[in-house]
Amino acid sequence: MYAFDYHQPKSVDEAAQMLGAKPEPKLLAGGMSLLPTLKLRLAQYTDLVDLSAIDSIKGIERDGDALVIGAMTRHVEVATSDTVKRAIPALTTLAGGIGDPLVRNRGTMGGSIANADPAADYPSAVLGLGATVITDKRQIAGDDFFKGLFETALEPGEIVMAVRYPVPLQAAYIKYPNPASRFALVGVFVARTAAGVRVAVTGAGPCVFRLTDAEALLAKNFSAAALENFTVKPDGLNADIHATAEYRAHAVAVMLKRAVAAAGGNT
Amino acid sequence: MSHAASGEGIGQPIRRREDMRLITGKGQFSDDMNLPGQTYAVFLRAPHAHARIGAIDTAAALKMPGVLAVLTGKDLLADGLKPIPHTPLLAHPAEIIPENTDGTPVFTAPHYPLATDKVRFVGEAVAIVVATSIAAAKDGAEAIAIDYEPLPAVTDTVAAAAPDAPQLWDQHSNVALDARLGDAAATAAAFKRAAHVVKFKTWVQRITGVPMEPRAALSEYDPQTKRYMLHAGSGGAVRLKNDLATVLGVPSDDVRVLMYDVGGNFGTRGMIYPEFAAVAWAARRVGKPVKWLCERHEAFLCDYQGRDLAVEAELALDRDGTFLAMRGSNIGNAGAHTTNFSPLQKGVEIASSIYRMPAADFRARAVLSNTAPTRPYRSAGRPEVMYVMERLIDLACRDFGFDRVEIRRRNLIAPSELPYTNPFGMTYDSGHYREVMDRALKEGDWDGFPARRAEARARGKYRGIAVANYVDTATGQPRERTDITIRRDGVIDVVIGTVSNGQGHETTFAQCINEWFAVPVDKVNIITHDTDIVKVGGGTHSGRGMRLASYVMKIASDEIVEKGKRIAAHLLQAKPAEIDFTDGHFRVTGSNRSVGLFEVAAAALDQSDLPGELRGPLTATCDKVVKEAAFPYGAHVCEVEIDPVMGNVEIVKYTTVDDVGRAVNPMIIHGQTHGGIAQGVGQALLEHCAYNAADGQLMSGSFMDYAMPRADDFPFFDTFISEVPMPSHPLGIRPAGEGGTCPALAVTVNAIVDALADLGVRHVEMPATPERIWRAINGKKDVSIAKAEG
Repeated sequence: MYAFDYHQPKSVDEAAQMLGAKPEPKLLAGGMSLLPTLKLRLAQYTDLVDLSAIDSIKGIERDGDALVIGAMTRHVEVATSDTVKRAIPALTTLAGGIGDPLVRNRGTMGGSIANADPAADYPSAVLGLGATVITDKRQIAGDDFFKGLFETALEPGEIVMAVRYPVPLQAAYIKYPNPASRFALVGVFVARTAAGVRVAVTGAGPCVFRLTDAEALLAKNFSAAALENFTVKPDGLNADIHATAEYRAHAVAVMLKRAVAAAGGNT
Repeated sequence: MSHAASGEGIGQPIRRREDMRLITGKGQFSDDMNLPGQTYAVFLRAPHAHARIGAIDTAAALKMPGVLAVLTGKDLLADGLKPIPHTPLLAHPAEIIPENTDGTPVFTAPHYPLATDKVRFVGEAVAIVVATSIAAAKDGAEAIAIDYEPLPAVTDTVAAAAPDAPQLWDQHSNVALDARLGDAAATAAAFKRAAHVVKFKTWVQRITGVPMEPRAALSEYDPQTKRYMLHAGSGGAVRLKNDLATVLGVPSDDVRVLMYDVGGNFGTRGMIYPEFAAVAWAARRVGKPVKWLCERHEAFLCDYQGRDLAVEAELALDRDGTFLAMRGSNIGNAGAHTTNFSPLQKGVEIASSIYRMPAADFRARAVLSNTAPTRPYRSAGRPEVMYVMERLIDLACRDFGFDRVEIRRRNLIAPSELPYTNPFGMTYDSGHYREVMDRALKEGDWDGFPARRAEARARGKYRGIAVANYVDTATGQPRERTDITIRRDGVIDVVIGTVSNGQGHETTFAQCINEWFAVPVDKVNIITHDTDIVKVGGGTHSGRGMRLASYVMKIASDEIVEKGKRIAAHLLQAKPAEIDFTDGHFRVTGSNRSVGLFEVAAAALDQSDLPGELRGPLTATCDKVVKEAAFPYGAHVCEVEIDPVMGNVEIVKYTTVDDVGRAVNPMIIHGQTHGGIAQGVGQALLEHCAYNAADGQLMSGSFMDYAMPRADDFPFFDTFISEVPMPSHPLGIRPAGEGGTCPALAVTVNAIVDALADLGVRHVEMPATPERIWRAINGKKDVSIAKAEG
């Protein structure tokens, strides 16, 4: 780990000021990806701005037809929240399946989506529910947030404060875990919302993406049967020592069917 | 207290006395040690799999704040350091020693602690940086500039053996050993008259041991006494001391090695590492203690790795399924250095397992490649060949219609045939092979399987079962020593040369002492940690910990009892022949006159009226070379369920019967078996040190990519112990540490193939990942993992 200065601001404004004033700052949320990266000297920052003391960006709230989750809410809090379970049980499953108990006790929702790991779970919920990312500067539609491998629409110095998830009619998340890391080798989030059916896939490509052709099939008939002949092309999907693109494509189709069934799709 | 009343003797499943210390963070592992004024070392490692080292510029590194020294291979040669002394083949009297067919000597390459001319694998240490902090040392390492001339690299086992492969060592081809074992003519004749021949080609992939405690070293040099002190965990303290002295070029008494708790070995930690020698040398160079901790990513790169055997094998059978002969070729991938070929050696010599095999003919090659060096990993060599033998049998059953159980019963060596010399020349001494297999089949409810298979099929799952037998040749360093002293304060000191790497010696060795002297286990002091006290001893490997420790402890204990009887005879005014020793007391036979063990020890120290030869500490030494090998054996039954959609394997039932001769602590043995199964099944399903064939980079360099088995990958195991005493051991003990792993590869893969038989699947390579199984089910070509990288 290279040397850096550590800061713990008490408000988002204070954090934003620090980000503007330091040469190469980095926000620290739960640190579950950032700290190992620093320890291996794969990244170097002059300043770490720790968001953990900012209470206004923590917590879970039902707000009409949406669930608003603060950026610094830990995975364990989402996984064990009755409010989440009543509104979007798919999020309960998703958060409860991230990493291991140690990671869930430290890791945060905001940290996960800002990091945009191609195999992380949360990005599939943001995209799959058509959620809105609320920053200190603006609101960003889920469809516009994830730009590529570890790349988001966030501007330098912009701070994620919360995500507003529309409460769906039906939704489910099914992950096929990587045998080593237990990140998503493939994860599929499917939701039927007031605005239509959405399917988001994580782990399979360089960045979370939607499966629009599956969405069209499910919009007509929200059931696994509607997907009977549905397949995914391996082009552009990830290939590594754990799986070929061909197997990942197969896994996406299978997990999608399982997710639709888990969401209580018509049988 | 009588040992019977205390319930702590041989055969009692008492809890491990060391566990409370270990699980409450009170263990003393190497990294827990600190010395005043200590400095910190970091190693700069090779980024290339194969490259010539040009100019090394350390000037910038030496200017970094806190950096005290930057040492390279050139400095090491200038200081006269020697290569690590490797003896790649095991010279135990019971072993078959393979020799080159062309009569040339087996190649051993000079393995210096830092690379001197070339780097030969990614992660090889090139320089050591010593600084006042770890961060400063890392800064220094980053500032070193090295001109490398990259060379073509080879990592694949078969490719490395090819004549046109990139050559690692200028002085010799990559094939360091090319031997042939067995009887070629008899084998050829048997194949000629065989009714059936089955062939099997496979690669037992490379894996790594992943001890929970990473390697660590702390060394200090005393210029007054000219002695080096090293704290470092290893499989044995004495060998590490001697090897370190060799590398440093000093007499072995000028080195003191200390190791208290060691967090896992499995063979991975079985011998000296280059870093240990470099740290000791650096401590002398900088004049301060130097500490080093191997980070986990370094451990994946440069811990000695295991397995990696390419096999082509054939089995000849007659019409009724009787084995006639086997033949084939084994190529063991030694990695970049000629560290250890004993997995190849120990595998091929028992490739026929415990089956009657009239003839065999095997070629055995050890090849060098641009990968981390390999050495024995839990049950070195045997799981590989058991896997091949058991796969051959199941393939023969499938191709020619034999029953998998009946063919094994037909060919297992019967007790009346023992001792039996196998076609490679190894002589198995004892065992009830068929009885043990039949018990495993019964405990695993083999007969009830068809109903379970049908029930699973109704749920859309494919269920399979398999049984596999094994034999494990335990040899290793044949010499062991103990010094046992009865102290007047009620404590027995046992100095012994086998360090616990987690096996529970503090408990089990003490249980033996409890059995013989009736002293509570708590009052037995097992001393293994300091080479200034422990002068001789072979360490913990090859099933020799309990086997040889109990051997020498028993002899020394008997000597103490005899000596004690003579002292007690004086104290009780009787003849030595009239004295009994039971429950810790010397008694005059047929009377109630007695004296306790510790009173006798005190009298020997205090009473000047004793004859001279009985005065002094009540102590005995046994220093013995045990020439016999031990042959633990057993049978495992594994049952799996496979999701045909994704190819996932679930192990639903796993049953073992392992013959340990005599169980000192059954609970610890069950635990050993559980861990062994996890390591074997881990290989069958999950683990793989994956190198990119194109550039030799390691692609499984962290837990993100190296798939370790976890508790939820397994069911509860049903482990059973068989106790057929081993005739050559005074207590009948066979080793118990490797049985869990030995047949696990075989039985797991055979169960998978059985599950998928109806789908036309004939074989799945290891690790049998879901994708591989899915491909096999769907008739798609297997994609080698390294090639999947693209």
